[in-house]
Amino acid sequence: METEQAQTRCGRTPEPADAGMSRRVPEGIGALLVVLTERPVSLYAAAVLRIGYGLLYLAFLLREFPHRDEIWGPGSPWTPELATQLFGQTGWASLLTLSDSRAYFEVCYATALVTSALFMLGWRTRAVSVLFAIMVASFHARAIFMTDGGDNLVLLMAMYLVFTACGRRWSLDARRTRLRASAGEATPPPAGRAAAGLHDSRRTLTSVLHNCGMFVIAAQVCFLYGSAGLYKVQGGSWGNGTALHYVLNLDLFRPWPELSLMADEHDVLLAIACYLTVLLQVAFPFVLFGRLKYPVLTMLLGMHLGIAVLMGLPLFSGVMIIADAVFLPDRFYRSLGRLWRRTSRRDTWKTGDPPRGEPPLVPTQPAPSSH
Amino acid sequence: MREARVERPGGAVLGGAEAVDVDGPDRTGTPPTGQQDRGGEALAFHGSSKPPPSILKAGTSVAVVLCLATALVHVLLVFLHVAPPNPLSQQYSRQVGAWVFPLFEQNWRLFAPDPDSVNRQISARTMHTTPDGTAQVSGWFDLTAVDNSAVKHNAFPSHTAQNMLRRAWSSYLETHGGDDQPRSQRALMVQQYLTNIAADRIAAHRGGSFESVQLRVVTVPIAAPAAAGVPGPSAAAAPKSAETRYLPWWKVASHGN
Repeated sequence: METEQAQTRCGRTPEPADAGMSRRVPEGIGALLVVLTERPVSLYAAAVLRIGYGLLYLAFLLREFPHRDEIWGPGSPWTPELATQLFGQTGWASLLTLSDSRAYFEVCYATALVTSALFMLGWRTRAVSVLFAIMVASFHARAIFMTDGGDNLVLLMAMYLVFTACGRRWSLDARRTRLRASAGEATPPPAGRAAAGLHDSRRTLTSVLHNCGMFVIAAQVCFLYGSAGLYKVQGGSWGNGTALHYVLNLDLFRPWPELSLMADEHDVLLAIACYLTVLLQVAFPFVLFGRLKYPVLTMLLGMHLGIAVLMGLPLFSGVMIIADAVFLPDRFYRSLGRLWRRTSRRDTWKTGDPPRGEPPLVPTQPAPSSH
Repeated sequence: MREARVERPGGAVLGGAEAVDVDGPDRTGTPPTGQQDRGGEALAFHGSSKPPPSILKAGTSVAVVLCLATALVHVLLVFLHVAPPNPLSQQYSRQVGAWVFPLFEQNWRLFAPDPDSVNRQISARTMHTTPDGTAQVSGWFDLTAVDNSAVKHNAFPSHTAQNMLRRAWSSYLETHGGDDQPRSQRALMVQQYLTNIAADRIAAHRGGSFESVQLRVVTVPIAAPAAAGVPGPSAAAAPKSAETRYLPWWKVASHGN
């Protein structure tokens, strides 16, 4: 997580909310408050979360298309009556239990598909993010006995993302704002002092909500790894290095038995992997503030790719990889964007098309503060 | 959409009673003259005759404080929820539960403290009473084998194969324990769920008419690593050889009639 230094608007004074406060509190806290209320941090990471979770949920829904009725529909062995009864006990709710009709379920399923796609693309992001959170919560609650850790994290992230400005970068919203700006349709400055005050308040609140949301997301990922590690420390098999042997022999998580068998033969390597897993998870929250986070994030990426293939859990792994990506700085994503533009431009030259004067995908100028 | 974004925090703040509580000390702490001076400057600068929107400013400050407080409280309560039980989380378990459940419930005991050291093979058979009163019991149908073959050589297995039966059975173990007496509402619900899974799958794969089903669960321990002489994760608890558990016959809504 890092402040988007290069893109801050220097011309604005931190006048609206915290000027009175910052005079009273020490300099450092004052500066922190300015960042908090004026600069939405890690806008690219937020965009990556939006794109990643929208895409993964879309993939999940499409993958379960043949099983959709069995999982969420009126024909599920976890019947609508059982689900409603459980909601009464736990306080959950779901759009899916409002009606037992198959047609209603199909409409909900289609809506969820469309919502995930629109969320991924960043179209009217704030409104769609609310709809996405409601959809994910509804589908999660309806099939609560079929969920795993990946589904759980998607639900949490969907709710947190409602508060973030995750549509500011790499989205249709950003594109629209950019096109409007290049067409010279600058939004007129708010007329009158009251309107200006309202505009400033909205900007401050959006920033604060976004920053709080990103903070909660980061803390959530740290808690995830921290507690996963702490619980593993309590287990004997992680201590004596045999845990992965048992994991590799679980029939339901062994899509490629030959591969699992091959991995199972290297008991020394497995023991090292056991120790490394626990160490990485426990250490995760502590390495985030230094350069050490890059090797750690790379190793976690490797671990998750291994889980995805060896255990047949691509969805779970994808969800975790996206969660890790929140800790990469904006300058990383900006250079990624530049790289992508450069290669795509080279490709258009190769195919012989004249390079069109398209505006870059990633705006180099800050987009207007709200859209 | 824009309006909603502003009104939600702002409206809650201005309308709420606690907003006044937070607001009070904050504003008394600010020198009143300073506030008015700045307002006056701005007034002169803009040349407007409207009064400065100081209520808006105060409201914004309160909303900022509320946002920060909510984020911090949320993080603290989620921490207490996911951390291993400790004196603090036990003391505040009611507050933690009220905040976290149901939306923020989470559990990150991924293969922890120890991964399962057994594979479970769940089969089901059905009973049909013919019109002349004789009971016909079918052969066993291996539900787990269907799941295993659905997972095998599949890069993206379905939740129905990996999670449905597996989690239904672990929930059954949690709610029933060693015997098959449902002692709670939840236990009955899980039992119903397990019955439905078995009945639906048999009806889909084998067909035939039946009025009740019985489950059989064979627990097969995973052998300890061959090379090392280290004992398994819970060597005392894990069975040395396969164990078979027969569940009672359960009535189902008539299938295939």
